[in-house]
Amino acid sequence: MITAGVDIGSTTSKAVLLNADTILAQVVIPSGTVPQDTARLVFDQCCESAGISKSHVEAVATTGYGRRLAQFGDMVITEIKACGLGAVFTGSPDGSIGTIIDVGGQDTKVITLNENGSIDDFAMNDKCAAGTGRFLEMLAVKLEMDYNAFVESALSSNTMIHMNSTCAVFAESEVISLLARNVDKCDIAAAAHYAIAERIGSMVRRVGCKDVVCFAGGGARNRALVSAIEEVLDRSVYIPEFPQTMVALGAALAARDRLVKGDQS
Amino acid sequence: MDNQFNDIYRVTADSVTNPGNLKKQRFIEEQQKQLQSAIAHRPSGIAYFENMMYSGQPATGSPRVGYFCNMIPQELIAAFGAQAVRIDCGNSAAATVGEEVLSGDICPLAKASFGKFLVSESPAASCDVLIMPTSCDAKRKMGEVLNDIKPTFMFNLPPEQNHERFMSQTVDQMIRLSEFLHKHLGVRLSRRRLRDVIRQYQRRTLMIRSIQDERIREPRSLSIRDFFLIIQSSLFSMVDLDEWISHAEAVLEEMKLFSADRKNLRPRIVLTGAPMIWPNYKVLNLLEECGADVVADTLCSGAQSCVDPVVIDETGKKALIRALTNKYVYASICPCFISQTTRMNRIIDLVDQSRANGVVNHSLRLCQLFDIENYRIERTLKNKQVPFINIRTDYSLEDTEQLRVRIEAFLETLW
Repeated sequence: MITAGVDIGSTTSKAVLLNADTILAQVVIPSGTVPQDTARLVFDQCCESAGISKSHVEAVATTGYGRRLAQFGDMVITEIKACGLGAVFTGSPDGSIGTIIDVGGQDTKVITLNENGSIDDFAMNDKCAAGTGRFLEMLAVKLEMDYNAFVESALSSNTMIHMNSTCAVFAESEVISLLARNVDKCDIAAAAHYAIAERIGSMVRRVGCKDVVCFAGGGARNRALVSAIEEVLDRSVYIPEFPQTMVALGAALAARDRLVKGDQS
Repeated sequence: MDNQFNDIYRVTADSVTNPGNLKKQRFIEEQQKQLQSAIAHRPSGIAYFENMMYSGQPATGSPRVGYFCNMIPQELIAAFGAQAVRIDCGNSAAATVGEEVLSGDICPLAKASFGKFLVSESPAASCDVLIMPTSCDAKRKMGEVLNDIKPTFMFNLPPEQNHERFMSQTVDQMIRLSEFLHKHLGVRLSRRRLRDVIRQYQRRTLMIRSIQDERIREPRSLSIRDFFLIIQSSLFSMVDLDEWISHAEAVLEEMKLFSADRKNLRPRIVLTGAPMIWPNYKVLNLLEECGADVVADTLCSGAQSCVDPVVIDETGKKALIRALTNKYVYASICPCFISQTTRMNRIIDLVDQSRANGVVNHSLRLCQLFDIENYRIERTLKNKQVPFINIRTDYSLEDTEQLRVRIEAFLETLW
């Protein structure tokens, strides 16, 4: 039984092809302006990379902010549920996952799972970009660095400074005044990561920090953010092998489960 | 009666000419009307309520008394031969006007309600006098600001409920309110007239109760948005109450005849928290669009506003006023009182009565009272294994999609 999960995010879109319990392929592409086209594109590429004809895919589930915008797919679930399903399937070497931090381009979510793997509670950032991946991207641009160099320079900083603003717009002016005071760029980069990590940390404390803490989403690929979050939470976090496609995987699992349930009834 | 405000520092009110804003207010109402026209099953007579909400009854010549909150008895106003109209406002464009003049950092309800006074065409601006309870800091301070525009009576609420010491204080406030109305409207309060009006309003209460019971039985027979429209058209606009009752009765009869083809698998939700006032039905739209049935609510702008009847034991003037006080102040679940027990009991009762699967709390940004109450409500309900989510938002529509994810994900956990 082959199913697909398509996660249409604000920055990137992801697709995962699943055959029962085996991941056949996973693809990440930048999101275009038309969710429907993006969904089709990422799905096609995923089928191609697995070498599977599209007609062999029995069901497609869409999720992510474009889940309803795309007239595509057979079922829709929220990224919160999909993230939970993906995390339960992925698991961790240290036991089952209790808390998931998912840092995306447009929003940040913290989800707690109960013993049987269903969602216990969740929190999301408010309506603006404060505390999300986009915030870091914008500051990298302001510092005239590419994103990877921005992350590396944050890791190399050894002077602690504070950034007061996590508002993407106000932070820009704060960066300008820090630059004007000749503060080292790598210290500013580190401060930006800490500002975000502290915000995420308070979301984690609000919904509860349960063993094992898993960090997923595009943000988990940022090593400076991972180490800042570990410091804020005072514990290590588990990063899955493919953090970016965990939500798409969850959607594919949901489609699979719905098919199995449908066959039984 | 003695004056509550001193006239020596009277400030001339700013009047705003902002035709673009008026247009936007209309547009927002129109948009909500459109969204509601897509509801699968609507009563055949809904147009009456829509028209009332939209434009209200043409002016009758009787004086108009504007009041805020659910704690001012309309019966008392009507007994003076005046038209009672609740002027809390739910329009986000009106909030923008209020924000420009007063301040950005007060709750949207206060900003929007104030904004309405700055625009001469609004029904708020056509009121002869105003009544404002001290149910929050914004309202406590807005009274004097509004008094510069219209004579305003501040109704001083007690901090505690169900306490004999505060009862006499509140009855005194009611009597002082009667004196205020007598002074400004030039009419004497008659015991018989008050008794008759209370009986008329009891019929409305009964009607809303019956519709509510019918919705608990079969929520698909009437959308929560149409229910709110029906209730609010009798509060926020000028209606002939007898006419309204007969139209509502027709809705109830239709509801009783409703039969569904299929079983209902939609989760049943109890809604609690800050008021939602037409056209701010954002969260109601989302809940229904995401597949939930709001089977009951504790909103002071929803069924809660009319759920308790006024109980008359004796028919003396003071006894009648005492009966009004009991209903409007002592049965109120407003978070402005120091204990939230009345509200907690009401939520828990409703969850049981309506066999709800979960509770949604609406907390209006910048309203500290509802926001702080959320803490104990969340913990109490979770201890009782009742799924709960708090939705913190304001009047603006910009967070609609983010809220949709939250609400959808919450509903997914209920299945």
